Amino acid sequence: MPLAVTSFGPFHVNWISWAPTVGDGILKTVEFTVASFAGAVLAGLLLALMRESPVAPLRWLARIYTEIFKNLPLLTEIFLVYFGLASLGLRLSVFEAGCVSLIVFYAAYLSEIFRGGLQGIAAGQREAAHALGLTEREVLTRVVVPQAVRLVLPATTTMLVDMLKSTSLITISAAELMTAGQLIASTTFQAMEVYLVIGIIYFAMCYPLSMASLWLERRLKAGTPLSPRRRRLIGEVRLAMPAGAPGGWDEPQRSGSRGRPRGRGGPGRGCRRGQGGEAGQMLRR
Amino acid sequence: MVRVEKLVKCFGDNRVLDGIDLVIRRGEVVSLMGQSGGGKTTLLRCINLLEEPTAGIVEVGGELVSKDGECLHRSRRVQLRQRVGMVFQSFNLFQHLTAAENVALPLLRVGKADRTEAVRRALDLLARVGLADKALELPARLSGGQQQRVAIARALALRPVALLFDEPTSALDPESSQDVLGVMRELSTEGITMLVSTHEVGFALDASDQIVFIDRGKVVHAGPPHEVVFGSASERTREFFAGFVRYGSTAGPEGSA
Repeated sequence: MPLAVTSFGPFHVNWISWAPTVGDGILKTVEFTVASFAGAVLAGLLLALMRESPVAPLRWLARIYTEIFKNLPLLTEIFLVYFGLASLGLRLSVFEAGCVSLIVFYAAYLSEIFRGGLQGIAAGQREAAHALGLTEREVLTRVVVPQAVRLVLPATTTMLVDMLKSTSLITISAAELMTAGQLIASTTFQAMEVYLVIGIIYFAMCYPLSMASLWLERRLKAGTPLSPRRRRLIGEVRLAMPAGAPGGWDEPQRSGSRGRPRGRGGPGRGCRRGQGGEAGQMLRR
Repeated sequence: MVRVEKLVKCFGDNRVLDGIDLVIRRGEVVSLMGQSGGGKTTLLRCINLLEEPTAGIVEVGGELVSKDGECLHRSRRVQLRQRVGMVFQSFNLFQHLTAAENVALPLLRVGKADRTEAVRRALDLLARVGLADKALELPARLSGGQQQRVAIARALALRPVALLFDEPTSALDPESSQDVLGVMRELSTEGITMLVSTHEVGFALDASDQIVFIDRGKVVHAGPPHEVVFGSASERTREFFAGFVRYGSTAGPEGSA
């Protein structure tokens, strides 16, 4: 173990020799996050559907669950699952206990978000889909879910970032990043430097996630097709559109007053803007 | 094409439809008129089973849709709705899809057309409602009148035998209304059976073959447009159209009457 007295450039801690510890910590943090988030999304979806169920006891059950786990501190839950259950004879590994706690906690929050998403779709959307002769299943897969995803995406990715940070609470010797930091700090006595570096690493992991979610949100708002199926369909529309059609531009007077909105990126992007565009439309008027 | 007999629909204690009789022949355009809340919308929704009738008979194209509260089985409803299109007051375009995709969606899922075929038909229909250049716009970027015209194109995609219009211009400004009514007038000359709930007296007068006046869940009067609007066949219709007749005799909205 390196001692804390020597200095390494501007650092007091020999980070090179600690790199494996930090690396393992990052890996563990990612593992906790990925496993728990997948579980929490599934459980949250189930809870949200239960909340909307016509069967009253299911609704109550989901409601009670949500209220309990939303209002307990995560750290308390972790200790309950790891130490509490162990005292009852149910011994979970640190990884299991950590994941279970995170899933149980975040499922409660995500279920609220998902419920909002499902409720946020106007009744008219379902009705129109039914009136077109879509089956129940198609109404869900083609109309309700795609729109719900757009509604819940921002809040859900916020939860993902929040969960990544919350893995730092699994200090039950989980060997994730924060625990690694504690180990390094207690060995080197350089608390400030160690926790600053650990903090920067957390930031470096979370910030791109936040940015990616904003990017995705913008694209969805602009109507950019994400699925290959939609992309092919739109490509075909573009090909078949009459030549000189403005291909997804705004009406001249509106775009004139507002200017081209930034990040248009709409489905019409990249099509023959030269041929149509505003001038073409003005001429035809 | 559509036959309705002694149709009753109750929501709880509220008898919204109270014994409606109605016959629409193939290719006929019928305007449903009357005060809001009188049951026009509910009647339309009972025909494609968005609402299940409480009692009475609904028949579409010779096929029994509902009788004495017994309705078509869920799987058959899908087929019924593919033959009877509907246009809503609030357009209800799928917000996450472009205009062309909205129109193509029913075609693609039924497997009636492959992608190329569906796209071609969607663009044809959009051209027909004057919106070929808006094919790649999302509904949020279209005006109300444009959205409603896309909705009409979407309702036409499956080549329905009948179209139900539920106050298609009530949410629109007068100019957009005229665009939408123009499309509907064109359709009315093409032999498609149309049942239109509307407050547009001008449209009802010159585009429909029959006006059915509904009040408090009952058909008060049904007959040729001029007779219903100007004939003062009943106290209720006289009251309802009084404003129009007085105004129409001097100014003549849309130059119709």
